[in-house]
Amino acid sequence: MLTQDLEVVPVPAVAIFIPGVQLSRLVVSNRAKMLRNLLALRQIGQRTISTTSRMHFKNRVAEKQKLFQEEDGIPVYLKGGIVDVILYRATMILTVGGAAYAIYHLAVASFPKKQD
Amino acid sequence: MTHQTHAYHMVNPSPWPLTGALSAFLLTSGMIMWFHFYYTTLLTAGLLASTMTMFQWWRDIVREGTYQGHHTSPVQKGLRYGMILFIISEVFFFAGFFWAFYHSSLAPTPQTGGHWPPTGIFPLNPMEVPLLNTAVLLASGVTITWAHHSLMEANRKESAQALSMTIALGIYFTYLQMSEYSETSFTISDGIYGSTFFMATGFHGLHVIIGTTFLTTCYFRQQLYHFTSSHHFGFEAAAWYWHFVDVVWLFLYISIYWWGS
Repeated sequence: MLTQDLEVVPVPAVAIFIPGVQLSRLVVSNRAKMLRNLLALRQIGQRTISTTSRMHFKNRVAEKQKLFQEEDGIPVYLKGGIVDVILYRATMILTVGGAAYAIYHLAVASFPKKQD
Repeated sequence: MTHQTHAYHMVNPSPWPLTGALSAFLLTSGMIMWFHFYYTTLLTAGLLASTMTMFQWWRDIVREGTYQGHHTSPVQKGLRYGMILFIISEVFFFAGFFWAFYHSSLAPTPQTGGHWPPTGIFPLNPMEVPLLNTAVLLASGVTITWAHHSLMEANRKESAQALSMTIALGIYFTYLQMSEYSETSFTISDGIYGSTFFMATGFHGLHVIIGTTFLTTCYFRQQLYHFTSSHHFGFEAAAWYWHFVDVVWLFLYISIYWWGS
């Protein structure tokens, strides 16, 4: 039922080229289609909300506790896995590299070129 | 296997204090490069690096507390003292801006025309949007208290609802304040009035954004079952910070918007 109604013509773009009477008929039929669309969506929305409640988060705290309490000697900032390692390396490169770059710029700025 | 025989938290060595310090260096030298040479790369790198540091550092604290169980009663007590001392330091930060405002407005110089507001300054009407902003923040104080009580009573649905209402009110305040900023007939460079107005309200707005971010983090942690009805210090810290932001606004409203108009 929904797919039939989705032949709504993008009225604003086309509207410029259609004379008055046909334009008003298009507008009315598109509005009716949009309203039917909206009502159908509402029905579906109401049905799904009763079975799931918005974002359905599961309680995974116990799993996380097991992962982070494993006695493997890995420090907490790397213990989550490969994403931790990538983020750590990216942060280090950015900060250490950036600091070196900043010192370079400050050195250049400290010895301005003489303008004759 | 050796295990500790005390209740305190011996933290793993962490790289985040170093990256945080280096990020601060990038932010400061980045600002110099921007102001003097119109060069923004360093500043952008500093903003990115500090954001990454904050994310990872606080992520690790959640891991240490919620997943590793390090936040025992004495440790939590230390965290409470820490948050209280931090908020006190923020109070002193704002005290400086209020001092500047009262210094200039209690004894207006000839340069301002000898009165406050200065000649040519048309302040915002305190009974319009600023009053609405006051109502919004006061309401958010109520909703966050509701969220806390719901959390303590293990009512998941209501604590999520109340917390999301608090966040929505915070966003609404920021939106209203941004539109007020575009409505003012004066700018930050319009004499001492402009300077004191925008420094005080601007830093307050930044703190509202920080508080809203903190509350949003709490919302997601609550959805992920991190909080229990008796142990939820992260939420309490966010609530304390939010009340502080509310109180600063009340002082701003009464001093700058109302008395100063």
